[in-house]
Amino acid sequence: MPDQLAVNIVMVEDDEGHARLIEKNIRRAGISNVIHHFTDGTSALDYLWNDPHGPAHNGPALVLLDLNLPDMSGIDILAKIKSDPHLRRTPVVVLTTTDDKVEIQRCYDMGCNVYITKPVNYENFAEAIRQLGLFLSVIQVPDAEEAH
Amino acid sequence: MPTTPTYAFSRDAGNNRLILLLLAIGFAAVVAAVAAVVIVQRQAERDAYWVEHTLDVETSLNRFVRHAERTETARRGIIIAPSETNFTTIAEKAITQANNELTKLETLVRDNSSQVRSVVELRKIFDSYAELVRLTEAEAKLGILKVETLDRDDTVAAIRHIRTYVDQMLVREDKLLRERNQAQDNTRTLLSAMLALCAALVIGVAIAAVQIIRRNIAEIDGNRRELRLLNQELESLVDERTAELQRANAEIQRFAYIVSHDLRSPLVNVMGFTAELDAARKVIGEHVLKDGEEVPQQVRLAVEEDLPESIGFIRSSTQKMDRLINAILRLSREGRRTLAPARVAIADVVQSIVESLQHRIDETGTRVELGELPVVETDRLAIEQILSNLIENALKYLQPGRPGEIRIAGSTAHGRAIITVTDNGRGISARDHERIFDLFRRSGMQDQPGEGIGLAHVRALAYRLGGLVEVSSEEGQGSTFTVSLPLKFQSGVADA
Repeated sequence: MPDQLAVNIVMVEDDEGHARLIEKNIRRAGISNVIHHFTDGTSALDYLWNDPHGPAHNGPALVLLDLNLPDMSGIDILAKIKSDPHLRRTPVVVLTTTDDKVEIQRCYDMGCNVYITKPVNYENFAEAIRQLGLFLSVIQVPDAEEAH
Repeated sequence: MPTTPTYAFSRDAGNNRLILLLLAIGFAAVVAAVAAVVIVQRQAERDAYWVEHTLDVETSLNRFVRHAERTETARRGIIIAPSETNFTTIAEKAITQANNELTKLETLVRDNSSQVRSVVELRKIFDSYAELVRLTEAEAKLGILKVETLDRDDTVAAIRHIRTYVDQMLVREDKLLRERNQAQDNTRTLLSAMLALCAALVIGVAIAAVQIIRRNIAEIDGNRRELRLLNQELESLVDERTAELQRANAEIQRFAYIVSHDLRSPLVNVMGFTAELDAARKVIGEHVLKDGEEVPQQVRLAVEEDLPESIGFIRSSTQKMDRLINAILRLSREGRRTLAPARVAIADVVQSIVESLQHRIDETGTRVELGELPVVETDRLAIEQILSNLIENALKYLQPGRPGEIRIAGSTAHGRAIITVTDNGRGISARDHERIFDLFRRSGMQDQPGEGIGLAHVRALAYRLGGLVEVSSEEGQGSTFTVSLPLKFQSGVADA
């Protein structure tokens, strides 16, 4: 059963470099979950709602969301996820360069679960991602149970 | 824009001079006309006098003739009735009267030499006639008078002579009278003409004056209207420009915000992959240097020195870039902050800044002096930031070897508060006076930490508060930064 319920990580990140760094650090933290990477909002939304393995139809997922996307704002994706009855329990981690307090506040108000500022200081960044790994292992079980 | 004011005014001045000149000419003409009328009037009076004079002369001549005729009548009476003494008395009386009249005539015609001569002649004739009358009288008394020769004797000839002579004189006087009447008429006509001219001039000048005044009033009205229009235009122009500025400023704020975010993204990669490189280098280093294996010197140097050095430079540069981006971000964020105007006692603000810097003040042995400071309606955080940056700068850039002196003073004038921060520090070279307010620009020796943001921030904030900041400084002597703010809050630049 647990292998069926493995959390899919959906990463919406337009910067390939950032995506690579995030993935590397997630792996370094010892997390081996599948990572689905999308570089634009449209294909990410399509996956979230329409893919048979996507969170709307199937198992639990975690969304890593960048706010600056070429085709839409990550805020819109966040709003869509949090207003959908099937998806609103899906944890969303906002990962972006903005450290504007107002922006952070807004994301939390909209239901974002964790907000991580991409720091230029790499050690902090890596640390944050590893923390995220820990967080993943914590949320995994209750989320899976709720889905069933 | 319509005609420039300078042009309009100079044209008016020329116009006014011309108008004044015309008016002066008009009034001078009126005065001249009045003077001429007076002169002509005098002439008319003189003419009238002369006409009267001539009439007097004529009357006098007539009276003389009457007296002469009476004498003749009396003489005839004597001839007819020599015993009657009454005729003698009448004749004597008439002669005396005629003589008196002649004397009067002499006085009257004194101005006319030919008439004077005529009167003298007349007197001569009359005298001889009077002699003849007296002779007739005597002859009659003696009874030796010959009646048959009476109508042919000398006396009759004399009286006839007198008659024709006087007639001639009268003719001459008549001629004079006609001439003088003519002159009088001419003078009267002239006088009427002059009066008419005078009236015409007065009316003309009056009309001209009224016209000029009316035109001037119309012009003034026009100018006033134009001025009002210009003023309105100016106001709307100012509003327009202000709106443009606000738009531009908002644009810049947004631009700064977006740019700083977008610049950060690649920086994360540079930093991240540099860290990855470093990690990789460590792995290689451990492998290469393990067991003291023989490796070429070049490889060892590359791993141990070249790679760490390069990575170090990349890191420090990236960090610096991050600091700069953060500074822009801070500025743009400060620009987007909503200002909350409140009454702020500058003295309190300065006091708390000085207290927060007390440690450094003591350390450098700087003397800080506070002067009179105003109370201003403004945004507390912004003015705090401005003054704190200025005072910190004063404390930071002291002249080495000279104990620092910082004076913060203020005043108010024309609805604005002036706050000055004066130091005796190292000063700023004149060519940098504008430059120091630019972002990332610094002046003098780069021996102090900093990014060149403080004064840019001060100026941006001052603008937002509707104020200005200026510097006057001499290198090596010290600097004075002057902040001027409106006493009553008025946002200089719209909140983005």
